Amino acid sequence: MRRRVVITGMGAITPLGHTVSDLFSEQIAGKSGVARTTRFDAHAFPTTFSAEVRDFDLSRFVADASRWENSGVNCQFGLAAAQQALKDAGIFDDKRLDRTRAGIYLGCGEGVQDFPNLISLIALSGDPQSHKIDTPAFTAAALKHFHAQREAEQELHTTPGHIAEEFGLLGPNYNCLTACAASSQAIGEASELIRHGDADVMVSGGAHSMINPFGVTGFNLLTALSTRNDAPEKASRPFDLNRDGFVLGEGAGMLILEELEHARRRGARIYAELTGYGSTADAFRITDSHPDGRGAIACIEAAMKDARLNPSDVGYINAHGTSTQVNDRVETVAIKRVLGEHAYKVPVNSSKSMLGHLIAAAGAVELITCVMSLLRSVLPPTINYETPDPECDLDYIPNAAREKRVAHVLSNSFGFGGQNVSLIVSRFTA
Amino acid sequence: MPRRAVLTGIGVLSSIGVGPDAFWDSLVHGKSGIRPFRSFDPSGLPVRFAGEIPDFDAKNYLDKKDRKSLRVMARTIQLAVAAAQLALDDAKVDKEKLDPTRFGVEFGSGLISTELEELIDAARVASNCQPGTVDIGKWGQAGLPVITPLWMLKYLPNMLACHVSILHNAQGPNNTITENDVAGLLALGEASRILGRGQADIFLAGGGESRLTILSLSRQCLFAELSRRNDAPEKACRPFDRGRDGIVLGEGAGVFVVEELEHARKRGARILGEIAGFGAAFDPVDRSKGAKYRSGAGLARAMRQALREAGIGPGDIDHVNAHGFSTVGGDAWEARAIRDVFGDSGTPVFAPRSYFGTLGAASATVELTASVLALSHGQVPPTLNYDESDPECPIAVIAGKPHTVRTPYVLKLSCTALGQCAALVYRRWDS
Repeated sequence: MRRRVVITGMGAITPLGHTVSDLFSEQIAGKSGVARTTRFDAHAFPTTFSAEVRDFDLSRFVADASRWENSGVNCQFGLAAAQQALKDAGIFDDKRLDRTRAGIYLGCGEGVQDFPNLISLIALSGDPQSHKIDTPAFTAAALKHFHAQREAEQELHTTPGHIAEEFGLLGPNYNCLTACAASSQAIGEASELIRHGDADVMVSGGAHSMINPFGVTGFNLLTALSTRNDAPEKASRPFDLNRDGFVLGEGAGMLILEELEHARRRGARIYAELTGYGSTADAFRITDSHPDGRGAIACIEAAMKDARLNPSDVGYINAHGTSTQVNDRVETVAIKRVLGEHAYKVPVNSSKSMLGHLIAAAGAVELITCVMSLLRSVLPPTINYETPDPECDLDYIPNAAREKRVAHVLSNSFGFGGQNVSLIVSRFTA
Repeated sequence: MPRRAVLTGIGVLSSIGVGPDAFWDSLVHGKSGIRPFRSFDPSGLPVRFAGEIPDFDAKNYLDKKDRKSLRVMARTIQLAVAAAQLALDDAKVDKEKLDPTRFGVEFGSGLISTELEELIDAARVASNCQPGTVDIGKWGQAGLPVITPLWMLKYLPNMLACHVSILHNAQGPNNTITENDVAGLLALGEASRILGRGQADIFLAGGGESRLTILSLSRQCLFAELSRRNDAPEKACRPFDRGRDGIVLGEGAGVFVVEELEHARKRGARILGEIAGFGAAFDPVDRSKGAKYRSGAGLARAMRQALREAGIGPGDIDHVNAHGFSTVGGDAWEARAIRDVFGDSGTPVFAPRSYFGTLGAASATVELTASVLALSHGQVPPTLNYDESDPECPIAVIAGKPHTVRTPYVLKLSCTALGQCAALVYRRWDS
């Protein structure tokens, strides 16, 4: 018998609120978290808006917030969401918990680069004619002006390390960064660690913010972001004909994954069961997904096989749905290919229409949304859906939430570079 | 019957050699790869030596039709791509005969810093050269148009695994683990687990990293505990030695072909050995004993888990392949964990990074390569620069002369300065 993995706690810091409950009710109300960017002065960038986390206060979540003051916002969001999830699962109250059997697997992004210092020091030391850097000048200035601890905190292993340290979680500790698929992949692999017996409890999810000058520079250069600057809250419009790119979001989502018997023994409340996980690669191009959805199809199929589901078992799909031309078309192709005729009967939404794209953290926040949909029997909408695209002809739950009781939910996450992950959560039945 | 993960190919690039033969040759001749820094003028930095790979040219490892993609690969990515090609060659894999959907890629990777030259034009538009001052309006308006459009893709940490999957049509499971120096071992462990549970038949697994670019090296000088032994670079990396004074940076890539046993047998592959056991854990700071003191209990737990999974005890291990930070506190932490598991048995400990320094996400797989080769050759080279034992590290470091191999098992350890750790048991294949 395979060890079963259930979800017993959740936490979220998002543009639509700092609790799981707010995250879900705002989505059901069809609210947009998108507005003009305030984290930095973005007025001269091609994209001037994003979905920011507002009024965040780490001290509400950890004993000594000053300990993490040099950490990036990704880490601070992650600490807060992990604290919520652990509390929600009753882990803090369980004095008998074997902490060596409780681990962490996250899909967290990098911290924030020191934009003003880096750019000014490049200007100072770079020769515009030869395109060479005066290295001694740059390095000496870098040592003088960069903040050592803030530089250290940009590294990619800091968030899982700090969460383990803060909450005393002594089991396996991982971080993966497969672009937009990262936190979904983390959840999938964390569940495999539990199935294999490496741990009984895993904190899993992700945290990320790329709403900073370098992040927006990178995505704007790729022309991946929406530039609908005159109507930011209308900009994220997955599957709509007039979509023009994704909207950057930020935040964190954390789940407590737990082996079923372990959860039962400590009398934990079980939200849902994680039944399926698939991971594939497009192996096509670093800039585009495979036009026929090759990787996405294989990935959804792998997750369904893992969960032992037939197409007709899938009751709702939380799509990757980025609001880019290519993703939404290819994802639609993939869903139709895997589910056949049933695809037209399955409601599909994109939470990114409201939350924006949380990049590494997107999958975790979207999976939490799936769990809430299972529990509340109501499915969040895709907002800003106005003009149907002939190539996107599924039921995208346009603009208004829908009551529906479902048993199995599919969540897709497709990373830049062709790394694909699908997860399936199911209503828990003994 | 459980599915077993075996190692059938090695791709290694390091300052002491490219490919297993050159790499082994340096090890047996005690040749260090740590030298005065050459890639750029390091005179503004407190550390002016490293384990650089001289004359690395990624073009030599790619088919002509694939070479244009090198423009969008930072050096870290190029190293990984080259090592993957070497591993496939070494394993004599005929890609045409593989099922692409059963071919996975697992890489360890780290933060990749931008090459400064690419931003000179944009920076000069937006800055008056006053440190810390940028006109972000000018950057957005006039800076962006003078940066190459694919700029960001060149530095994304997942691009090691993505490029490798594209170059070799590997459509199976694909992950990028970004857990600092332990990333490569976690990736190898995860690949073997995926083979075990039947979701793939063959993997390219490992890591690649260079922190020797101008920005990356400057950042490391700010926050990493680096050796300052500029007067004697080849003596600087000295794990467990009493005179150790910090980490030495290198660059490299270590990639293995790992496949399910029957898959390897069916294609008539040479089997080098087996990934027999794996474990990971976290070792927290014990504040009662110091701001950075870690007891070693976490690392010891990872080791016991790996031994248990391999179905063996500490006495079956030929030698421990250490992480070997070469820092005062890090080595003492690791030594406590080794003592915890091995007691007074005097199990030999080998720290191959004494030859080439830390390779970040590539560290663990390049270091393990040294033991894979050692088990095949029947002798383990000595750890370099182990001149004087340290009472804080009461372990039996292989030093001065080689150790003759007695059993087919090595236990590989890997750690980060934040307390993340993993252990893996590798068994030489004796047909």
